[in-house]
Amino acid sequence: MLLTLGAGALGTAHGAGGAGEAIYRQGIAPSGQPVEAVRSDGPSLRGSDAACLNCHRRSGLGWTEGKLAIPPVAGPYLFVPRGKSLAELGVPFVDTAHVIHDPYTDESLARAIRDGVGSDGRPLNYLMPHYRLDAKAMSALIAYLKGMSVKPAPGVTPEVLHFATIITPDADPVKRRGMLSVINQYFVDRNNAAARTKAPTLYSSHTTMFRVERRWQLHVWELTGTPSTWEKQLREHLAVQPVFAVLSGLAGSDWEPVEKFCEQQAVPCLFPNVEAPAGGDADFYTVYFSRGVLLEAELISPQLTGAAPRPQRVIQIFRSGDVGVAAARALQRAQGSAGPPVVNRILKAHGSPEELAGALREVGPTDALVLWLRPGDLHALGGLTPGTASVWASGEMGGLEQAPLPPEWRRVARLAYTVDLPGQRVVRVDYALSWFRLRRIPLLDEKVQVDTYLALGLAAETLNHMVDAFVRDYLIERVDMLLDHRALTGYYPRLSLAPGQRFASKGGYVVRFTEAQGTHVAPLGAWVTP
Amino acid sequence: MKSRKPRRLIELLGCAALGCAAALAGATPMAIARSKVSYQTPDVLLVRQDGKTVSLQRELDDGRPVLLNFIFTTCSSICPLSSRTLEEFQQRLGAEAARVHLVSISIDPEQDTPARLAEYARKFHAGPEWQYYTGTVAASIAAQRAFDVYRGEKMSHTPVTLMRAAPGKPWLRIEGFVTPDELVHDYRTLLGSR
Repeated sequence: MLLTLGAGALGTAHGAGGAGEAIYRQGIAPSGQPVEAVRSDGPSLRGSDAACLNCHRRSGLGWTEGKLAIPPVAGPYLFVPRGKSLAELGVPFVDTAHVIHDPYTDESLARAIRDGVGSDGRPLNYLMPHYRLDAKAMSALIAYLKGMSVKPAPGVTPEVLHFATIITPDADPVKRRGMLSVINQYFVDRNNAAARTKAPTLYSSHTTMFRVERRWQLHVWELTGTPSTWEKQLREHLAVQPVFAVLSGLAGSDWEPVEKFCEQQAVPCLFPNVEAPAGGDADFYTVYFSRGVLLEAELISPQLTGAAPRPQRVIQIFRSGDVGVAAARALQRAQGSAGPPVVNRILKAHGSPEELAGALREVGPTDALVLWLRPGDLHALGGLTPGTASVWASGEMGGLEQAPLPPEWRRVARLAYTVDLPGQRVVRVDYALSWFRLRRIPLLDEKVQVDTYLALGLAAETLNHMVDAFVRDYLIERVDMLLDHRALTGYYPRLSLAPGQRFASKGGYVVRFTEAQGTHVAPLGAWVTP
Repeated sequence: MKSRKPRRLIELLGCAALGCAAALAGATPMAIARSKVSYQTPDVLLVRQDGKTVSLQRELDDGRPVLLNFIFTTCSSICPLSSRTLEEFQQRLGAEAARVHLVSISIDPEQDTPARLAEYARKFHAGPEWQYYTGTVAASIAAQRAFDVYRGEKMSHTPVTLMRAAPGKPWLRIEGFVTPDELVHDYRTLLGSR
């Protein structure tokens, strides 16, 4: 029975992930002590710094850094019987695997790990430290490596790659339609293109697994009810229809249960449209384009503390039940105790814009005003006076340069702007827009739709590079590695990830409107990464 | 035999995609190459881990011998080894370490804020003479280009250590994983020939 289970299942059977997994991922020996490793005439390592995953990655499929290929250590790559090729054994190609070595035995592998001597008797690369593992630890680690699965993940069949996209019930219905129109068309296009391609040109006669064009199938998981029930709903969806990965997706005010689901079920969730991401860089399975309004708060915060004269109060206006709640909290945190006192004026969820007048009461010239508001509320500011010349607003929530601020507000308002300036992004964004035009996709929310198109393009590109290694962890690792190469980055000036980096675009501008009307904005300084 | 051709093709595709230019050295020790090179330090401003904006020229030309490398804090394979090697280098120099300026410049400056660099410096027990620098993407690239370590993006970086006895002298460029003892030896030789 155990033999048929993958590494993950073995891990759960051993409670905290299994002794081998603890060595591999955390550098913790079965004794509970940190693993120690040394290099000949070199620095020693211990604990998490000595964890195998740092170099061989969570998937065990290796990593490339510069000219250095760190080989895969998942069992099938180590124990290839003499005279057999990986292809013959149905082991997927990974581009770090062509480091030719004799097959390992348990003994020779232990020697490699302890003494840095390869199966051919030659020393391994200096980067590989020599591990001080006792017999028990060594056998646990070797068992773990042997159990690392390189078989296609659930959701991958010889003909079909299954993907999901996730939509929370409080997501904006217009954005939802916009996102789905892009995803649906992308899947149709991709499958049509695949169907037009001649029968697989790159494949192995033994396994027929190489480069077989699989059809992409989309499953839209629309969540219902309260956030506390979402994880359960998602687990049920996944049980009914396993998917290889979640592509894009759309949040309202809360995405945390979805992020948790992706993390706990080890499902890659690539670039969902989330304005206030809950997770952090320590998570593995969800990658985002940006920290959204949380980043905006950090762009605005130094402006408030650095303003001369310094405001006596910071008044934040936002609606309960919207991402402004998280943004306001982030700003308050960023201000800390050093900043002026922060006053939160909270409007009812989905309440009427008339509430705004109340929220603006007694706002004076010595106050700073921060508006975490949607276009409807911004529009309703018409007829109300700002009361202060220090006004900041969320570009993400307000609609960037389309934010319908009334003229008297445009004169004083500064927008947090976490994307590239309109003139600088136009070529990159036009690529997506022309794709929409040619396919008659209505433009409902440009940013959500362009980000969605970008997410799908990145997924497709990464999957191409993965050839036929359909291992979920490997998908994330390849995104980490390849993203810097991407030339078409949509709304963002640059996208870059790495292990321990989960937000691809790191900075933003603060801009202001240059005219009483229209969409011209000018930055008040350089692109900043807080 | 049938499977060979497709595999090779795929290998080539993968390699082209990664921009991996040369042979991949997974199972053999990487040779260390040393050369003496003159570099023109670019006139750029960088931000030190203490948050101060400083001129790279002034930081490098403060009169002390300089050891320079390029890292990023989320690099989990090459950089921790390079940084540990510098840490050991300092330890082996003992009191003399205070007279050598160690300079580590981030090649991922948007991620590596001064606060993150300070945390990274603490991890490697960097004393006051070992400083970390970030700045704009353009400034970091200018510095990388000037010392011929710019490889297009961070994942393509290679281990390079640069050493200079004094302002105006040529740099010793060390490519590959040098050990702390070798580094101390290189340093002493370089100072002896000053």
